[in-house]
Amino acid sequence: MDLAVRDARQHLGKFLATTVGVGLLVAIVLIMNGIFRGNIADGLWLASHSGADLWVVQRDRGGPFNESSRIPEDLKHSVQATPGVARADPFISYGVQRELAGEERQFTIVGYEVFGGMGGPDRITAGRPIRATHYEVVANVDLGLSVGDSIHLGIHDYTVVGLTDQGVDTGGNPVLYLALPDAQRVLYRIDNRAREAQEARDRDRLAEAGYRGAEAERLLALLGDSTSTISAVLVELAPAAGPSRVAAHIEDWLYQSVYSTAEQRALLMQGRLQSMTAVLGVFRSLLIGVAIVIIALLLYVLTLDKLRAIATLKLMGAGNWVIVRLTLEQSLVITVASFGLAYGLVLAIKDDFPRRLVLLPADTATTFAILFVGGVLASLVGIRKALRTPPAAALAG
Amino acid sequence: MTPPAPQGPGSGEPAAETILTVTGVDKVFGSGELAVTALRDVSFAVQPGELMALLGPSGSGKSTLLLCVSLVEEPTAGTITIGGTTLYDGGWTGLDLRAFRRRNIGFIFQGSNLIPFLSARENIELALELNRVPRSRARKRAGELLDYLEIGHRAEALPAAMSGGEQQRVAIGRALANEPPLILADEPTASLDTERGFRVMGLLKDIARDSRSAVIAVTHDERMIEGFDTIRRLADGRLTEDAAGPRASGEGKGG
Repeated sequence: MDLAVRDARQHLGKFLATTVGVGLLVAIVLIMNGIFRGNIADGLWLASHSGADLWVVQRDRGGPFNESSRIPEDLKHSVQATPGVARADPFISYGVQRELAGEERQFTIVGYEVFGGMGGPDRITAGRPIRATHYEVVANVDLGLSVGDSIHLGIHDYTVVGLTDQGVDTGGNPVLYLALPDAQRVLYRIDNRAREAQEARDRDRLAEAGYRGAEAERLLALLGDSTSTISAVLVELAPAAGPSRVAAHIEDWLYQSVYSTAEQRALLMQGRLQSMTAVLGVFRSLLIGVAIVIIALLLYVLTLDKLRAIATLKLMGAGNWVIVRLTLEQSLVITVASFGLAYGLVLAIKDDFPRRLVLLPADTATTFAILFVGGVLASLVGIRKALRTPPAAALAG
Repeated sequence: MTPPAPQGPGSGEPAAETILTVTGVDKVFGSGELAVTALRDVSFAVQPGELMALLGPSGSGKSTLLLCVSLVEEPTAGTITIGGTTLYDGGWTGLDLRAFRRRNIGFIFQGSNLIPFLSARENIELALELNRVPRSRARKRAGELLDYLEIGHRAEALPAAMSGGEQQRVAIGRALANEPPLILADEPTASLDTERGFRVMGLLKDIARDSRSAVIAVTHDERMIEGFDTIRRLADGRLTEDAAGPRASGEGKGG
C-alpha cells in the first residue's frame, strides 16, 4: 500500500499548490538557463558566422564587437596583399536605435561586400539577397519587416528585398544587412543642415588659423567627413597558411590588431558574457535553493500533521523504511511533477519569449539532477522528525 | 459472532501456555536525585482468552507498564515473556522487537488512532501488509473483519467521516487483523459516550472469548470493567490489587 500517495491524495490542495509554486520557480531556472545559452549563442553569432579566419581591427582594440573599431576601408588592399591571405573583405557593424515600421527598435546594422564578400546573411528565408550596392536591405524577421517594405535610414529610403531568420548582435538584437557603402552612409553621412553647420564651424576654425577665401574653401573640402571607414577586415587564409604568421605580419607591417575567430569568441566570453554568466549562476543557485526550502517546509509541515499516525505505524511494528518512504516519496513526487510542469511551461512559451531561449539537454538534465538531489535533501528534515518520533507518542491522550 | 479466521503469518492454533508473564519489572526514569520510579517490582501473568483491566489514577504508571509490555519502553529490571519468548531479562534479548510486536501484539488506542488518510478497509489492510500478508488476502481478511464488526458498509469511508464508535470498531479490526495473542487497549472508551463505550467493551469481551487472545485494557472508568476476568490496580508504580472479576468466577469465561 502506497502511504505517500494516499496521504498526498488527502492533502491534494497543498500538494498541487506546492507543485505549481515550485514548478514556477524551476521554470524561471530553466528560462535563465535558456537565456544564458541564448546569450552565448547570440553573442557569438556574428563572430562565428562570418566565415572569416582572421579579424583585422583597429590597433589595441578588442573590436569590432567588444568595443568600437574604426579603420580605413582601403586597408583591405594592404591586407589582401599580405602573404598567406586568400581574400580580404571589409566589414562594418554598429548598433543603432531607429524607428522601423512605426516603432523605435534597437538593432545592429551590418555592412558587407554584397558581391560574394564575407559577413553577410547565412540564410535567406524570404525574398532574395542584396544584389545592388545601394538602397537594398535584408532584415532579420524579428524586426517585423516584410519583403517590399520601405524603411528610412539616415537620409535615404531602403527597400527590404529579403528576410533571414538568423543574425543577431552580441546583445541579442536583430541585424539589418546593408551593402557596405549604404552602411557607411547611414553611419557617417549627415544631412544637409548638419553638414552646413559643420562647414560653418570648420570655416571659423580655418579663419582663426589665418586661411580665407579660395584657400579656405579648398581646405574645407579636405576637412569634410569621410565615410570610407570600416570596423574590420575579414580575412580568409590561403590553404596551408599559418594564421599566427599572417596575423603577426599584419600586426607588424600594417600596425593593426588581428584576432582569429576563436580569439574573438574568447574575447566575447571573457568580456561581455563572463559577468552575465556569474549573475545568472547566482540567480539560478538562489532559485533552486528557494525551491528546495519550499519543498522542505511543506514536507516538514506535513510530517508534523501526521506525527501521531507515524507513531502509530511504529507501534504497529512498521519498519523505518515504511516511515522514510512516506516522506521521501512525497518529496520526489513534488520534485518530478514540478520539473515536468516547469519544462512543459518553458516549451510552451519558448517561441514567444522576448529573448532567445536555447535549452540544452545537458543543462536541463543538470537542473533536474540538482533539483532531484535537493528534493532528497529537503525530505531529510521531515524524515529526521519522523524517525525521531517515539512510538509511545501514539499512546499519548 | 466469531472473529473470522486469519490467513496471515499470525494464524495458527492459540497457544495454551501463559500469554504474558511480567516478573519483577522496575522502571526508573532519570538518575541520581532526578530519578523517578514509575514501576516497582511489578509482576503478573495473563492467560489466553483472559480479559484484564488495569486501573489506576493518573501518574500511577499504567501507561509506562503498557509501554514496557508493548516492547517500546525498556524496563530497568525484571523479565517480560510473551507467548513463551523472553523479550526482556534485565535487558532486551536481541530479538527484532518491531517484528515481534507486529506479529504478536494488537493495539487499540484511546482515540482510535486510525491513519487519517486511509479508509477503514485500508487501515486494517495496512496491519496485514506490514506483516507481509499478500494484498489480495489482506483485502479479503479486512472485509471479513469489517463485516464481523458490523461496519462493512463503511469500508471505504475515511476516519474523519466516521463516528467515534465506528472508528473504534475499525481500530479493533486493525488490532485483530493478524490475530495476535495479546491485545493492548489504552483507554479504549475514553473518547466515547457511555453507550458506545459499553458496546466496545462488549466487543473486547467477545474477542477474548472467541479468539482466545488475551486483552489488557487500561481504563479509569470502573463502570466499563464489568465482566472482566481480572482487575489489577496500579498506585505509585506498584500493582496493589489483583482481583478476579465476574467472568473469572465462572460467569462466562470463554474457552
